[in-house]
Amino acid sequence: MPIVSVLAALLAGAVLILISGSNPIRGYAALLRGAFGSPYNITETLVIAVPLTLAGISVAVAFRTGLFNIGAQGQLLVGALAAGWTGAQFPELPGILLLPLTLVSAVLAGGAWGAIAGWLKAARGVNEVITTIMQNYTVVFVMHWLLQNGPMTAPNAAGTPASSPIGAGAILPIIIPNEIVPLSRLHAGVVLAIAAVVVFWFLMWRTSLGYELRAVGLGARAAAQAGIDPRRRMVLVMFIAGGFAGLAGMIQVSGLFHRVFDGFSAGFGFDAIAVALLGKNSPVGITLAAVLFAAFARGGTIMQADAGVSSHLVEVVEATVLLVIAAEAIVRALAVRRGTPAEALA
Amino acid sequence: MIAPRPERERGTAATVVATPLVPLLEMRGIRKRFGELQALDGVDLVVNEGEIHALVGENGAGKTTLMNILYGLYHPDAGTIRYRGREVRITGPRDAIALGIGMIHQHFMLVPPLTVAENVVLGDERGGPPLDTRAIEQRVRALEERFGIVVEPSARIEDIPLGLQQRVEILKVLYRGSELLIFDEPTAVLTPQEVDELFVIVRQLRAEGKTLILITHKLREVLAVTDRITVLRQGRNAAQLVTKETNAAEIAKAMVGRELKELKARAATGTSLPILQISRLEALSDRGTPALRGVDLVVREGEIVGVAGVGGNGQSELAQCILGLRPVTEGTITVGGADITRDPPKRTRARGVAYVPEDRRVEGLVLPFTVADNFILGKQDREPYARRGVLEREAIAKDGDRLAKDFDVRPPNAKVIVGTLSGGNQQKVVLGREISESPRLIVISQPTRGLDIAATEYVHERLLEQRARGCGILLISSELDEIRALSDRIAVMFEGRIVATLDAADATEDRLGLLMAGHAEAASH
Repeated sequence: MPIVSVLAALLAGAVLILISGSNPIRGYAALLRGAFGSPYNITETLVIAVPLTLAGISVAVAFRTGLFNIGAQGQLLVGALAAGWTGAQFPELPGILLLPLTLVSAVLAGGAWGAIAGWLKAARGVNEVITTIMQNYTVVFVMHWLLQNGPMTAPNAAGTPASSPIGAGAILPIIIPNEIVPLSRLHAGVVLAIAAVVVFWFLMWRTSLGYELRAVGLGARAAAQAGIDPRRRMVLVMFIAGGFAGLAGMIQVSGLFHRVFDGFSAGFGFDAIAVALLGKNSPVGITLAAVLFAAFARGGTIMQADAGVSSHLVEVVEATVLLVIAAEAIVRALAVRRGTPAEALA
Repeated sequence: MIAPRPERERGTAATVVATPLVPLLEMRGIRKRFGELQALDGVDLVVNEGEIHALVGENGAGKTTLMNILYGLYHPDAGTIRYRGREVRITGPRDAIALGIGMIHQHFMLVPPLTVAENVVLGDERGGPPLDTRAIEQRVRALEERFGIVVEPSARIEDIPLGLQQRVEILKVLYRGSELLIFDEPTAVLTPQEVDELFVIVRQLRAEGKTLILITHKLREVLAVTDRITVLRQGRNAAQLVTKETNAAEIAKAMVGRELKELKARAATGTSLPILQISRLEALSDRGTPALRGVDLVVREGEIVGVAGVGGNGQSELAQCILGLRPVTEGTITVGGADITRDPPKRTRARGVAYVPEDRRVEGLVLPFTVADNFILGKQDREPYARRGVLEREAIAKDGDRLAKDFDVRPPNAKVIVGTLSGGNQQKVVLGREISESPRLIVISQPTRGLDIAATEYVHERLLEQRARGCGILLISSELDEIRALSDRIAVMFEGRIVATLDAADATEDRLGLLMAGHAEAASH
């Protein structure tokens, strides 16, 4: 049970907070307040949950097809670069044209970047874990070049290397008026994320292609003999995975930062692996897990400020959640090997 | 230094079945329920010392559950277990092993990169690390000599065939000093030759005073090697028999609960059109070595052509080439006159070729999918199951239930996950999916491997039905009885070639055996 895992991890975290000399109850209260304690805090948590959900879907769609996409981070950045470039290149275009153009360019760029790993696996048998990790590094360094005195560097930029701001038409509007929640940054990306969850569900469980992807993930040889070529599906699914991650990147650019800068959205693609695992690769599960991880991230900062508990402890709690989930899987596997009937575990 | 564990002293090594005053093992009134399922409903099992006792029954009759209780893996809801007359409580395999009970599992529990000797002592390494390799090999060799079991102690498990791996499992159990050995479906993975060799070992173990329980549903083996038989049916005792005084028909009746049907007499086929033509076919194995070296074969409409041969002589590769799952390096394959040599599976299947693969769990089915979803595997992108790329859930559910009923899948519920079904019912799902398309050619590999009598009978009837409909069938099987019972013609494969094709009437077991062993000249006389 994921809920048990989360509770066990919170308990372990409480012990660590105690050891570090703080009061765990005060710490967790601050964390909860930081994540959900006010309308503003809730919107801030959702702002983080949006890219996590999309990147989580990116990982899950590949997982469902039997591939381990470690490359969501790189695909997200490629999507962000594409969105940043498109949005800045045609600043005069009206939103009705520029926003879709930005979105499509990010999805296609992220998808193409992901498809490379799928193609290498299908054509050459190269493990996608290795290629996607290497691709992540590639993107980071290409980004350095693009943004520091490269073709995308903003003229007269000071401080962090960044691109020129995107045109007004490429910006995702804030959906909660300032009069209701002052300073809210919650943008229309949250609508896109919800739409993406529905698309993910529909694609995987309501279309022939989704059936084929799941069949390849759960029984590649059975799929192959039935005429579903696993290699083609691998390329395709990595394109789709990259597309979802690319959309996450676009939303960060269009909804939040309105430009791309070096060190942009670091880590979302990796947290996404945890989100997909905790969410059991299901649409609702991923959404809930993304909100949980976003609450940890947002609440962690407040916990540090209010209760004096290091925000790194929140990362320890996150890591412990994963550990408990992994342990659960191991225990289950051992029980099966020992022949304990599945009913006894249920 | 690893010292041999002393075997318990025993008076006589009984080769004749005597009835001692106290049986070695006495299980009485054993009951066990899993959720809704009453797996065992008051079962008795009495095993005398020094006998080979067969525990037979169809899949799901409760054989394995009963043995898992004896081995301490499950705890019974009711009932008593007496061992050497003393009532015992077995709470785990450790207790069972301590009593002298050992289990040779169906799926071997060996560590592939370790040697035979290392596997034998695994979990029982006395003295701790480092292991004295020479000493344990000597120890294992001594054990082998005593029981007449030959397998090189220094060989790695991953390098030796299944038949030898099983011997290692037996040695493991003997090493722990077991007196009562439970064999769970020991012949399921063995070739006919390996089965014969296993029986020699089994008799030798009895001669050495060991007691054996054989879980099986293969009647030939029961009759060949056991002394007494306990038959289970649906969690109850169906019969207690003495092997010498019974026959296959009586055991089968007790297992199934009714008389078995005779296979329908086969009508002679006329000279019909060839549906499958293979000429000079060559292909490589997974390891890149030649697997097919010029296969010529014809299957006509309404004809079953059996492919006999010892496993690993190119039969699997042949089936894969026809389907388009393995690249053809030379030669041609045509179906109904159309060249399909280079066609991928989807195109091959579109020509009316159905395929029932040898490993239904890996190749035939997507185990975590439901029955209904498995029925549409390969048809997921066509009407009526999909329209414009969107699945038609209602049509899938409706046809799933219909096919589950038509093909007698139990339970007849298409929402059930296929992986939870018994082997026989899984095979019905595969067969149902393939046959419901009215194919022109069926390529079917090991159609009844691991199936019980009733399911085997069912599969055979369906195949004969298809034949009567005019479908050509290529039947690849390692069960000679099955090939001889069903085939119109029999092709024998040896080292990647068809060494002979015989009319069923001329194919005696001796002749087939010689051909399968590569003695083509001897067989022609």
